[in-house]
Amino acid sequence: MTAKTVTSLEYIHKKGHFGNYQKQNVKNLLQISEVKNLTIIQLVQYKKSKIQTSTIKVEDLDLPLESLKVTANKETRVLWNAPRTWLIISNKKNIINNIKDKCDHSNFAVTDISHSRAVIQIKGLQAKEVLKKGCPININEIQVNNCAGTVFNGITVVVDFVNNNPDTFNLLALRSFSETFYHHITDAALEFGYAGI
Amino acid sequence: MLEIKCPHCGSRSQNEFSYGGDSSVKRPELGKEVPDKDWDDFIYFRNNPRGKHSELWHHVAGCRQWFKVLRDTSTHEIFKTAKLTEEL
Repeated sequence: MTAKTVTSLEYIHKKGHFGNYQKQNVKNLLQISEVKNLTIIQLVQYKKSKIQTSTIKVEDLDLPLESLKVTANKETRVLWNAPRTWLIISNKKNIINNIKDKCDHSNFAVTDISHSRAVIQIKGLQAKEVLKKGCPININEIQVNNCAGTVFNGITVVVDFVNNNPDTFNLLALRSFSETFYHHITDAALEFGYAGI
Repeated sequence: MLEIKCPHCGSRSQNEFSYGGDSSVKRPELGKEVPDKDWDDFIYFRNNPRGKHSELWHHVAGCRQWFKVLRDTSTHEIFKTAKLTEEL
């Protein structure tokens, strides 16, 4: 018998239409959903490590060396999180073993933080407008495959710009803040109307 | 609200950061006999200048790195920021 995984927003996230949705074209309605079953790995290179990270590839993806940068393929995204620190987000279950093979334990700390984060996806034409209500960064300057560690109404989040057709953002927050964060996002989205999916 | 240029992430709003005090304070050397006065100076006593002040800031909501900031305490103008390993 396998235990059922309960996500952080399992009993919080509501499906349906909310806010000012009646005046909107349903096709263009903002969509808010919880992204489940992601594997999130934090990769940290030790200060004493002398390995050139430019030579390392995870799932055929380079480790980005500049702030805001993300390398991505269909299943996996590698986010620059801080100097010598990356977040690897993937749909693959066993990716941690692949990462441990490439990044040996004498040079890297590989930590599975999948269960300590809540991931909310906002998708639609007004996605940037929702973020602008709570994030102090210039959302207009962020482009596809960029990410930023910032705050949303005081809650620390990682904003990952996944797609621009339509604008799609994955927002990662600490699991313990997920309920508050969810309410902040949905409150900000009421003005535009949104579909919880 | 200040706009602070994190040496790693670029310009960000002050509410992503946390103030960490005077960056010129040096801890007494480890493994040596330290007079009480030196400990008092290190722990309790700080200059409170009006004008340029070198400070530590922490990018709490971003890259979580400490860095140095040269700031005017009366006008809040930020002249320069630098990594901990760099000189201001």
